[in-house]
Amino acid sequence: MDMEAQRFLWEGAIPLQIHLHESEVTTLPSPPPALILAPRLGCLPLLASHLKPYFSSALPPGVDTIWFEYRGMPLKWYIPTGVLFDLLCAEPERPWNLTVHFRGYPGNILIPYEGEDSIKWSFINSFKEAAYIINGNCKNVMNMCQPDQVELWRSVLNGNLEAYLRVSSKLKLGAFGEMNSSSPRSRSSMGEIDVSGQVKQGRVPVRLYVWYVIEDFDDLEDAPPIDSWDKVFYINQPVEIQGEGRCFTLHDAVKSLLPDYFVEKSLGTAESLTVGGDDKQRVSSEDASDDKKAEEEVETSCDDCVNCKG
Amino acid sequence: MSTTKSLTATKKVVIHLRATGDAPMLKQAKFKIPVMDKFAKVIDFLRRQLHRDTLFVYVNSAFSPNPDELVMDLYNNFGFDGKLVVNYACSMAWG
Repeated sequence: MDMEAQRFLWEGAIPLQIHLHESEVTTLPSPPPALILAPRLGCLPLLASHLKPYFSSALPPGVDTIWFEYRGMPLKWYIPTGVLFDLLCAEPERPWNLTVHFRGYPGNILIPYEGEDSIKWSFINSFKEAAYIINGNCKNVMNMCQPDQVELWRSVLNGNLEAYLRVSSKLKLGAFGEMNSSSPRSRSSMGEIDVSGQVKQGRVPVRLYVWYVIEDFDDLEDAPPIDSWDKVFYINQPVEIQGEGRCFTLHDAVKSLLPDYFVEKSLGTAESLTVGGDDKQRVSSEDASDDKKAEEEVETSCDDCVNCKG
Repeated sequence: MSTTKSLTATKKVVIHLRATGDAPMLKQAKFKIPVMDKFAKVIDFLRRQLHRDTLFVYVNSAFSPNPDELVMDLYNNFGFDGKLVVNYACSMAWG
């Protein structure tokens, strides 16, 4: 069951329709947009190996540095594609229409991108940070032998879950210890406990992306587009799982990270909350299936967290 | 712990900047920075102070935080003795 959830995450992908920015089109007719399926766990610049050849004949002379933009907003290259999509597209757009640039890198908005190594650096450091949160240090990652380090990165790059598990299992990144419960609990509608009646507890490293909205709106379709990264924060706080027989859900996790913004309400409705003396409103919404996340998106720093049932 | 802007806007975190390897030391190594600032501000500050574009910046000599990370979260997760230790180097120190 754990593997199924993990595989589901690793195999998730977003269909993209990528348009070359008109200022960089030197051919007539302009090239049609590229249609590509992007892994949710990947980063957009990794698509360069497909996009550069596709658009190269249309580009003006010069040095390429790839960057992407959605509705005028340059996209941070180190945020995984799935997180970007869920965060910026409150109403999912399929395919997701993005604009690609190969010139004019916006160095005032985006931190420098120096190719695949930049993404690898970002990944390895996030991985170390997650290990630190789980174990109190990241020695296990720092002491990895070179071949394992290479294998770890390649497994993530290629979306190869089996290879990832082979390497990561040596690292003792289990966020969960196990504790025997004194009596079996009945199944709850939210999930299931494992057969032996054991409960799990531990610290899960979490990055919760939050979009702060000032304007009021009723439907997600009417939500104002995010036009600045100043409106987006992420909260990096580990979630403590205290197993008490019932399943610890995503809702429980988000509630523990944003306690001020959750009030009791019926499932499936969005709600605006006014905070303090400001007129600022934070919108938090969820629907019964927990499939859609509107302006909050959870990026889990450690894949082990999907071992949590529910 | 509350993360609302209104409650934490005036709180600050003590950052202790420590040079690593052959990186130059700063005259003043300890600073207070608003909790809601992103780590990018620490990186930019170091770049300006040291007049270098290429800098490797770490927390607790362990890992390089994402520039979007809030110093508040870094302090809560990795701080000790009332401060957050930030190490900086001119070349990669802990690969």
